[in-house]
Amino acid sequence: MKAEDIINKTDEIIASASPIQGQVIPLLQAIQKEYNYLPELALQHVHNKTGISYSTILGIATFYSQFRLHPAGKHIIKVCVGTACHVKGAGLVFDAFKRHLKIDAHSDTDQDGLFTIEKVACLGCCTIAPVVQIDEITFGKVSTDKIKDTLEEFINLQLQETTNIKTTSTTLKKEAGEIRIGLGSCCVASGSAEVKKELEASLLRNRVQVDVKQVGCVGVCNQVPMLEIHKPGKKPAFYAKIRPDEVNKIIKKHFRSSNITQHLKNSFYDTFDRILERDIPISTSFYDPNDKDTPLAAFLDGQISIATENRGEMDPLDLNTYKQFGGFKSLLHCLRKMNPDQIIEEILKSGLRGRGGAGFETGRKWKFVSQAQADKKYVICNGDEGDPGAFMDRMLLESYPFRIIEGITIAAFAAGSNEGIFYIRAEYPLAVKRIREAVNKCYDAGLLGNNILNSNFSFHISIFEGAGAFVCGEETALIASIEGKRGLPRLRPPYPAQSGLYEKPTLINNVETLALVPWIISKGADAFKNIGTQNSKGTKVFALAGKINRGGLIEVPMGISIKKIVFDIGGGIQNNKKFKAIQIGGPSGGCIPASLIDTEIDYQSLAQAGAMMGSGGLIVLDETDCMVDIARYFLSFTQDQSCGRCTFCRVGTTRMLEIMDNICSGKAEMNDLQKLEDLALIVKKGSICGLGKTAPNPVLSTLKYFREEYEAHINGKCPTGKCTAMIEYFITNDCIGCTKCVQQCPVDAISFMPQEVHIIDSEKCIQCDACRQICPVDAVITK
Amino acid sequence: MVELKINDKIIQVPAGTTILEAARSAGFSIPSMCYLKGQSNHPSCMICVVKDRKNGSIFPSCAMPVNEGMDIISEDDEIRDMRKQSLELLLSDHVGDCEAPCQLSCPAHMDIPLMNRLIGANKFEEAIRIVKNDIALPFILGYICPAPCENACRRKQINAPVSICLLKRSTAQFSNFEEPKTKPNGKKIAIIGSGVAGLSLAYFLQLYGFSCDIFEKNKEIGGSLRYDISEEILPKRILDIEIEGIKKLGASFYCSSDFNPSFYEEKIKNRYSALIISTGVSTQDFSWLVEVDKNGIVINEKNFLTSVSNIYACGSVVKKQKMAIRTAAHAKQLANIIANIQTEKKQFNSRFAKLTKAELPEYLKESVSNNRNNSIDHLTGFSIQEAIEEAKRCLHCDCRKKDACKLRDYSTLYSAQQNSYNIGSRKEMTKQFDHSFVVYEAEKCIRCGLCVDIASSEKDALGLTFIGRGFNVRVQVPFNAKLEDALKTTALKCIESCPTGALAKII
Repeated sequence: MKAEDIINKTDEIIASASPIQGQVIPLLQAIQKEYNYLPELALQHVHNKTGISYSTILGIATFYSQFRLHPAGKHIIKVCVGTACHVKGAGLVFDAFKRHLKIDAHSDTDQDGLFTIEKVACLGCCTIAPVVQIDEITFGKVSTDKIKDTLEEFINLQLQETTNIKTTSTTLKKEAGEIRIGLGSCCVASGSAEVKKELEASLLRNRVQVDVKQVGCVGVCNQVPMLEIHKPGKKPAFYAKIRPDEVNKIIKKHFRSSNITQHLKNSFYDTFDRILERDIPISTSFYDPNDKDTPLAAFLDGQISIATENRGEMDPLDLNTYKQFGGFKSLLHCLRKMNPDQIIEEILKSGLRGRGGAGFETGRKWKFVSQAQADKKYVICNGDEGDPGAFMDRMLLESYPFRIIEGITIAAFAAGSNEGIFYIRAEYPLAVKRIREAVNKCYDAGLLGNNILNSNFSFHISIFEGAGAFVCGEETALIASIEGKRGLPRLRPPYPAQSGLYEKPTLINNVETLALVPWIISKGADAFKNIGTQNSKGTKVFALAGKINRGGLIEVPMGISIKKIVFDIGGGIQNNKKFKAIQIGGPSGGCIPASLIDTEIDYQSLAQAGAMMGSGGLIVLDETDCMVDIARYFLSFTQDQSCGRCTFCRVGTTRMLEIMDNICSGKAEMNDLQKLEDLALIVKKGSICGLGKTAPNPVLSTLKYFREEYEAHINGKCPTGKCTAMIEYFITNDCIGCTKCVQQCPVDAISFMPQEVHIIDSEKCIQCDACRQICPVDAVITK
Repeated sequence: MVELKINDKIIQVPAGTTILEAARSAGFSIPSMCYLKGQSNHPSCMICVVKDRKNGSIFPSCAMPVNEGMDIISEDDEIRDMRKQSLELLLSDHVGDCEAPCQLSCPAHMDIPLMNRLIGANKFEEAIRIVKNDIALPFILGYICPAPCENACRRKQINAPVSICLLKRSTAQFSNFEEPKTKPNGKKIAIIGSGVAGLSLAYFLQLYGFSCDIFEKNKEIGGSLRYDISEEILPKRILDIEIEGIKKLGASFYCSSDFNPSFYEEKIKNRYSALIISTGVSTQDFSWLVEVDKNGIVINEKNFLTSVSNIYACGSVVKKQKMAIRTAAHAKQLANIIANIQTEKKQFNSRFAKLTKAELPEYLKESVSNNRNNSIDHLTGFSIQEAIEEAKRCLHCDCRKKDACKLRDYSTLYSAQQNSYNIGSRKEMTKQFDHSFVVYEAEKCIRCGLCVDIASSEKDALGLTFIGRGFNVRVQVPFNAKLEDALKTTALKCIESCPTGALAKII
């Protein structure tokens, strides 16, 4: 790269990328997009040209995980280390990639500069954990023995020519009905994109003309890729877990080909199908939507859809469908029939509390901002969902962009604001894209901009992409990052409602909170209030994942019991293992043991149990999960995400983590438990912001319910064998001598002895678990 | 105006005032390190936490604005504990010596690194002042001290320790030290014995304004220094020089004085405001005067008092001392007690074990690499040039801001322990010397960001920047440029504001 080129390019970027003064992050994002890192020369030029100080530029460039100061490889491998991925071995997967690519401990890029590997907080595809994203392609269920295959598959996908399927001229008779296919991030990672591609090819081949509708997340992540065929007058057909090679059969089954011979064949198959009933396609699950006994029905039973209303029925970016389902009627009603005070009164009456974690009353927040006197006010939709193991906000943003836009517009009208910002983390590219497109469509339709729906109310929305810092979910840190600062939280008061973005009154609501607003306005506060418990009204969306049979996005009434979620909706624990605990609320929350399975979930009961609602990650743990390891995992997350401002959080969480590390590697002593608990209470009491104040919760709650597991570690034993420093791998006499483990072992710790019982050399073994996973007869065990 | 209560005192302050300022204006002291009025980096250190009496919440007072009707407790047991914890957490991430290991191992607690720096700069007159602050007889001890300081010297990890004892002698050798004249206070002290203890006591007490009469049983002054140590170890000439110095201060010596009951009755009793017995290791029995046990005279270890009021004992007569320097140290302590000079409360000291391999070159940045000159003859000692060369071998382990460090002062105040959270491995010291008068030792930094904020708000050249976040955040010069280019106009303000020794003036 020539210096001159960098300077010229940087000039262009400065000219185009920084519309609002002081917004440094978008500028750096644009530079990084160009070079895949931030060249020093470009940063110096930004300083010379804009006068933004070096401490601001470098302070930001090194604060947010997204930015790189050194060139990256051609492709970026992101290994998700979110909770669901963690409990399914993401750490081992990361190590395996590094070994495979021969990347040493101090580096992140292979020698050829082809791949750079990094850990990411959560890609939000928890139901198909462990998840790895290589560039834009997401791979699910990646295990340590599939590293080579995954990379090969990626390279192959790269080589594949993008075959553009052009729709043929519309001389074909258009079939009535439609085909729906879910294209949320999880679905795509599970192969929905390939299914869609095959679907289009198949329609073309069979000369079938029918509407293919991409719908948002159905929530049934455990059953994807899913295809629904709706024909007028007929029962809709659901196909779950389909493979691309099955698509053709399904199409032929449901649609007549325009080709006469094909038609005959189709009739034949139709008859054949009727005989075999549900057995076709063979490997695919076909469900009758009216059948109450299917996993799909059980999953949906007991759920109430408010934020996720009309799930699976709408193309996320089809404004007309949204309107047909009643979309924007609430906004219209607010603008025509209600004044801001009445709206706030209605929200207050509904009992809605913030779904971002702390559960503050939404109506009161609106009231504060509405009452604040200022020439300008802001409304921010907080979509910086960073909890490892939570993907509710991503799903809502991807699937219901118009609903959230409607919600934020109502909030803005009530609060007296004309300017709104969607703050969405950069790890959610699809969410950013959909919101951007939906916002543009709303502008075109007069639903945003000046004089919305011919009223006196004007409202403008811009989008701000977060740059990878969990702490920016905290509202004061979020504001700092928009203002072009390091994402450091500050002490409240003053609250953002009094002095927020650019010191103006600012209303910050979580995505889910805003998604509930249109429903409350259209159905009334009473309808909302009738759902839920005494102090927690309405529904809550949870990301259900972990060791559960049916994971996915669920929306349930407040007050539902843990038991119902885990066993009825979730279908119980995978592989017939024993239910041990749920982890709720992510790194701010805690673990609730199986003994409290009847706990009815609401803000108060969770707090009483030592957990918290958090943003809604719900990870199910079974008897093979080590609770000390889980606590250590969450603590390592918050420690890593601490902004570093206040002593208690910066140093306190680090020292706690060191104690946890010692416990997990058998180096701790019994009095370390007291020290850990004391320090946890100090960090909780003394930290400035919510991150630090809640960081000790996972440790405290596991100490409360699973102290004996901590003690076991101190006595030299990890009861579940999860803490690799404390276990050894052995091969039992069940070994059939197939040598698969030998081929998998990355460090040659198993010698090649065909037909004989193999032996692991403990000295060489790095506990990567590859042998245990590949063994066809479960002969590899840990002690 | 906003009305609030702090420690039950009702005060009124303008809206927007912080609780820290409000409390200070009402006369309550609240510790703070990261806070500087006008800067925006705080809160960070969290030592200024206070409590809201109404809900028990704890928050940093430097960042919390006053609110009508607030009821604040500025300090109680819980707050003190939180402050101590925050200090201990900071200390667990703070590497460096407050005082150098040599000074800490010196029984007289002499400021050895400062002496070395002054000798290195050919400032012997100033160097001996530093020595004589703590050691009355540097010339003599320069011959006989077993030098525990050299055993502690970090230089040992590179080659031989700095020749501290000989350097101390050189300050007496190469200076014409004139003691300041002190106004007599009219009080008289009797000292029995003229060895290291007696001479040292006489030196300090004379300086403090007392007039001392020293009684020696032998014909000549000096006790064991004269009679037990050979000429090859300590030439009599040297002993005489230092005795002469003490005489010059006005002390009177009475030789051939046998301290017995009748002598006591006739010459001492009721004639002096205090009597000090410092006869050294003695076969003499003092049980006719004070309580004794198998070691010697029994004293109260805090104030050197014997069983009789106004009679003190010091040195080997109490318990046999193996090192003259320890006796010298006791003598100074006793002189301070008699003069009623408040000896400081034992100060906090940040310490750490050995230097790592990576730290050696960092420490050598302000030193020289050559080994100790082993050809020095004991009786001849250093030449001026040799002394200067040797002094330059010092690694200057001590902190330049040991007397101006808030972290140290508050750690002393709140009895913070350095090792409470020593769980992981410690960081390795670095020293950045690319500025004409500023040195930056990053591992002493508590990440408060005052310097970053000052340099930025006052638009200094390159300024400083935070790099990274969380536990790994550190303050650095942008793009690894030189400190010289980073701090120009604000260098002094940054040094002065830095609550620790991270940023300090080189000399």
